Amino acid sequence: MDKFKVIEIKESVFEDNERQANLLREKLEKENVFLLNLMSSPGSGKTTTVLRTIEALKDEMRIGVLEADIDSDVDAHAVVQTGVEVIQLHTGGMCHLDADMTKQGLLELGTKEIDFAILENVGNLVCPAEFDTGASKNAMILSVPEGDDKPLKYPLMFSMVNVLLINKIDTIDYFDFDLDAVKKRAKKLNPNIKIIPISAKTGEGINEWVDWIRTQVKK
Amino acid sequence: MHELGVIIEVVKKVESFAKKNRIVEIDTLVLQIGELSSMVPKYVEACYPAAVDGTLLQDTKLKIEILPCNAICKNCNKVFNLIEAQKKCPDCESEEWDLLGGNEFLIKEIIAC
Ligand SMILES: Nc1nc2c(ncn2[C@@H]2O[C@H](COP(=O)(O)OP(=O)(O)OP(=O)(O)O)[C@@H](O)[C@H]2O)c(=O)[nH]1
Ligand SMILES: [Mg+2]
Ligand SMILES: [Zn+2]
Repeated sequence: MDKFKVIEIKESVFEDNERQANLLREKLEKENVFLLNLMSSPGSGKTTTVLRTIEALKDEMRIGVLEADIDSDVDAHAVVQTGVEVIQLHTGGMCHLDADMTKQGLLELGTKEIDFAILENVGNLVCPAEFDTGASKNAMILSVPEGDDKPLKYPLMFSMVNVLLINKIDTIDYFDFDLDAVKKRAKKLNPNIKIIPISAKTGEGINEWVDWIRTQVKK
Repeated sequence: MHELGVIIEVVKKVESFAKKNRIVEIDTLVLQIGELSSMVPKYVEACYPAAVDGTLLQDTKLKIEILPCNAICKNCNKVFNLIEAQKKCPDCESEEWDLLGGNEFLIKEIIAC
């Protein structure tokens, strides 16, 4: 045993990714591309929201979409129908995307070709919160059927996003979902969070959402 | 699942560190995990054998040190353990505090030659 010695490493496991994420963010800033990282649990309505967003904005800016899916291309197919460029990122069983994968996807889209890129992250409220993708801004969707206790259960996600979309607001009468309680819980974790109730199905609230995107995109 | 992906990263990092420093045998890998980290020590241990399979760390033991999540009260400057105190200052009951640590996930050291 005495031939062994202790060698200090003291390295944060997430540090490498953070460095790459910061580089990517700087590059996007310089090239005037707004990259939005959209996160949520499975089925909260990411793809439906992406489709609505494209529909509202595609005549005024050049949009590209990155679809992260563990092992399918169902969502990418749906988005392709809108006519915008879509890149499918296969995460190969991983539960999150990192900055490097995101960058590869963006290079495929061509950063000169787009003003606004949307990244539909893997459906999961834990892991994506821990890996900075290098996105300009982060948004998450919480849908009404998931319940109003989610900020208590997944505090990291709620504390790192710039915007919280509360989706499926059309169903609020059928669930006992306390909208004010969610707003309060989210603000407590993240005082600057912007909260927008929407229905990706009926279109309610989508105007306020795309107005916020307009303020972020430089053309 | 989360843990496995991250542990594979850890193994890659340690392997490249070992290569750079001409280390051929690693007896023990020591990780530090904060109490508030989403990495659960129990699951880290469970996925470790799968992550090291076929790597330089195949026979390396894993040791995990837990780092406490301490906070400092903004009102009276008391330092306290956030979980034990249930997120309230035990002295003045203030809920306003700054986190001093507890989110860490670090490769602390290796015992190697
Ligand atoms: N009632 C209602 N249903 C919605 C709304 N938005 C989405 N849905 C439905 O919810 C289901 C899931 O929506 P998706 O957009 O596929 O959700 P997703 O987050 O992309 O799902 P994954 O990619 O599988 O994680 C679909 O059946 C949608 O039609 C909404 O605002 N109201
Ligand atoms: Mg989807
Ligand atoms: Zn106090």
